[in-house]
Amino acid sequence: MSSPLPRDSFINTIFQAAKLDKEIIFLCADLGAQALDEFRAQLPHQFIHLGISEQNMIDVAAGLAIDGKKVFCYAMAPFVTLRPFEQIKVALAHMNLPVTLIGVGVGFAYDDAGPTHYATEDIACMRSLAGIEILTPADDTSVVQMAKLCLEKPMLRYIRLDRKNLPEVYDGKSIFNNDGVNLISEGKERALVASGYMLHTALEVKKRLNEKGQNFAVLDLFKIKKIPDSFLTMMKPYKKVYTLEEHFLSGGFGSAVLEYCEEKNLAQKVKRIGVEDHYYFENGGRKYIHKLAQIDVDSVLDRILKDLCDEI
Amino acid sequence: MDFTGEIMSSTNFILKKLKEYKKEVFELMVVAGKGHVPSSFSISEILATLMYGGFINLNKENLKEKRRDRIIISKGHAAMALYPIFKDLGFFDEKEMALFTKPEGLLRLYADPSIPGIETVTGSLGNGFGIGCGMALSAKKDKRDSLVVVILGDGECYEGSVWETALLAAHQKLENLLVIVDRNKLCIMDETEKCVELGDMKAKWQAFGWDSCDIDGHSINDLFNFLSDWKNKKRAKPFALIAHTVKGKGISYMENQPLWHNKIPNQKQIEQARLELA
Repeated sequence: MSSPLPRDSFINTIFQAAKLDKEIIFLCADLGAQALDEFRAQLPHQFIHLGISEQNMIDVAAGLAIDGKKVFCYAMAPFVTLRPFEQIKVALAHMNLPVTLIGVGVGFAYDDAGPTHYATEDIACMRSLAGIEILTPADDTSVVQMAKLCLEKPMLRYIRLDRKNLPEVYDGKSIFNNDGVNLISEGKERALVASGYMLHTALEVKKRLNEKGQNFAVLDLFKIKKIPDSFLTMMKPYKKVYTLEEHFLSGGFGSAVLEYCEEKNLAQKVKRIGVEDHYYFENGGRKYIHKLAQIDVDSVLDRILKDLCDEI
Repeated sequence: MDFTGEIMSSTNFILKKLKEYKKEVFELMVVAGKGHVPSSFSISEILATLMYGGFINLNKENLKEKRRDRIIISKGHAAMALYPIFKDLGFFDEKEMALFTKPEGLLRLYADPSIPGIETVTGSLGNGFGIGCGMALSAKKDKRDSLVVVILGDGECYEGSVWETALLAAHQKLENLLVIVDRNKLCIMDETEKCVELGDMKAKWQAFGWDSCDIDGHSINDLFNFLSDWKNKKRAKPFALIAHTVKGKGISYMENQPLWHNKIPNQKQIEQARLELA
């Protein structure tokens, strides 16, 4: 049996807690989930569907949070971040309110819907806000543990959920032992750093590199803001890291890693692999878009091999 | 004392306070060399009636209590209009008035919750209304009788999120929410009706499912009567009071003049204003 959808796992964790805590309020801007049907049926006073009005959702969340409510805002990733960006800045970040933003369908997850529904700018925008934490789960274990974190240690957070379930990486083990980063697969000299869907691409790329006699490590950097101090130690063994992201290169995941290296005066080289400046309207599915954007396993492999040749 | 007499004495009290209050708002601007006096003077009678008329349950003792009423000036550039009233209520020391916008002072040009009595960050238009709606919703969920009063600029109603919030508040039947629209018909650059016509605001709010009526926003009697009625009657919907006002009311050269939005008068103009406010 495959694991539940990320949104169902996340919402169900919140739902179980909400049954015992009336202060938990779940706001939704017209995005469904199986777990949400149960939530709204059993806890109608703790669930509000505001209609398709994300800007209002964020302001209302702020008013509820100022009053002490534990608020979760839920919508598709581009619509819970970019559409109400200024509301998030003013109503949430300026007042440092402990509201959780749940975005579903990061990157090209809503395949064939086109760039209106893709979230390839969300990391760049959201990480520009002061005091926010940004988490991207790579499997169901991570989703559940991140939901529990939001309940236990509330703060302004953006959770980047994939649209579909991703294969297990952690198998129930704790993901927070090193704060926001884990070594998933050992290697020498070079490492692939990714999160979410792209962590699985990284694991595939690692296998293919092995076949070519290259032994790359794979790191899951699931907390991109603020990059944890443990990343410093985790990166130390490698002379070069390749960041993989399903996001524009400008200001995204790789940018955050680069800035971290600059801030910490690290000697490691960083090569960013992500989406170049282009909007993809083509249909054909997520894997096809990844090919076009050259962030699929074959393209990433080619780009790394070429980079290794260039090094010599 | 009969009810009419009680109203008379209360409105007299408000009128007496109003005069000093407006002078204090003006002097805030003089001392700081900045501030938004015209936007504050279009809502002076509204705020004075709300606060000195005893319609808002907000005082030094309940300032941190959930059961208090909330007042939000969503048109955040006029936040300074609350400072003299909050000073009167003892929320902060009187000496803060001379330190308005100074780094060592408490009172800022735009308000934020570090100032006692201020409920939320404002300044970016539209947000204060949505946040106020969230607070009213929270009170209803808690079955608390806290009222939330939001002062909304008419120019602020150009923001689309205002109408998202209006829809939700009506749907949630937030009868504990009162919006007072400061219908001064001016934005920074122009008259609203010349810029993009806002038209019949009462009809618009009613169409969004609110109770609404027009009022002379400078008539303390009318405001007092409305608020007495609104507080005492059984309500079923949120209410939008369309207060017809004059931006800069009380200073002849500022009245209805867009260019005075955040312009600072020279010494001669300051003296003239002081005479007119005396």
